[in-house]
Amino acid sequence: MKINLRSILTGVLLVLFLDGAIFFIKRNKPAPSSPLPSVAGLPTALKVRGPANAPVKLVEFSDFECPSCRAVQTDLQDFFKSYPGKIQLTFKHYPLTSHKWSIYAHQAAECMNAQGKFWPYQDKVYEKQLEWAPSTVPPVEILARYAREVGADMDRFGKCMADVAVTREIYAEKEEGNKRQVNATPTFFLGEERFVGPKEMQERGENAIRKVLGLPPKPPAPKKPEPLVPAPLKGALK
Amino acid sequence: MIFGQEKTYRILFLGRMFLGLVFLYSGFIKLMEPVENFQGGMAAYEIIPYVLIPLLARVIPWIEFIFGAFLILGYLPRMSALVLAGMSWSFVLLIATTRIVTGALPANCGCFGEGSLLHLKPYQVLIMDVGNTLIGIRLALLKIHPFSLAAFLKTKS
Repeated sequence: MKINLRSILTGVLLVLFLDGAIFFIKRNKPAPSSPLPSVAGLPTALKVRGPANAPVKLVEFSDFECPSCRAVQTDLQDFFKSYPGKIQLTFKHYPLTSHKWSIYAHQAAECMNAQGKFWPYQDKVYEKQLEWAPSTVPPVEILARYAREVGADMDRFGKCMADVAVTREIYAEKEEGNKRQVNATPTFFLGEERFVGPKEMQERGENAIRKVLGLPPKPPAPKKPEPLVPAPLKGALK
Repeated sequence: MIFGQEKTYRILFLGRMFLGLVFLYSGFIKLMEPVENFQGGMAAYEIIPYVLIPLLARVIPWIEFIFGAFLILGYLPRMSALVLAGMSWSFVLLIATTRIVTGALPANCGCFGEGSLLHLKPYQVLIMDVGNTLIGIRLALLKIHPFSLAAFLKTKS
């Protein structure tokens, strides 16, 4: 094609249109069609971390096999440290179809939830993601080992892992996410506000938390070199 | 264009649409997801230098999306086809080198993002990328692309 002014102009317009389309779609992801009951109204037996009277109530839709979900755990830990007693986090299963071992990990975590050990188990599953996720066979034995390490009653755990009703509960939570237009993990909700991925959580999420707490927005941090890989990954790859 | 060439181009047109759509979809899905997902997907290959991963994770989806759209529309079709052929070939090299150096491949190729319905194993992508490279090179060698913006702009100038 002969490069002339008309061609250049067409190219510029095309690129602007394509970029605009992406930014528009990302910015205007549809809001939930029917707001779900607030976290405060849910029974406490759910996967909830932090005090019930915490002013900040975050809901996380997460997938255990997703790298971003692992990466965001560091930020969540930092939030809990920075705002002690002010944050309540509710975990919701959102196993992605494309992650073939994810449902096994979610089932195991739900089985540990039945034994009151969800949080230590979820920490373990994320920490060891690079061990079980690349497995070529269903990582049931690896997940069982983690359960043992966390102190599970292995008889109960074994029975629970074969329980289809537990799987149904997991998919019911995923369906809840679908109704809230979740389509990527991790997705966080603070009220009706949504944050997708660690970057958004760092850039907008923390300031939204501070707003609820009546604190001024955090000044932008001086630009530091980007971490090459998420922190937990570094250790795991050694 | 004579009749025989037109007939040949029908097949190449399908190839152009296929190659464009594959990259458009791949780029779009990655752009819709948190960038860390693609970073994690690339880190799984182990041979990509970590220092490059954040930059590549931000740049590659845009290249895929823009040039995929360009190829479908037929804007700079030869250059777009060449760029996409180059990308396909680099994926072939990445998969092959990872297999040779580390002796293993990630369970998922990571090419279509984490949440995509299309999820291929590395060897499936290897086959597709070899095909894509050949299609891209053939399209890049073609001087005239009918049903394209390039042809439209040429007739108007």
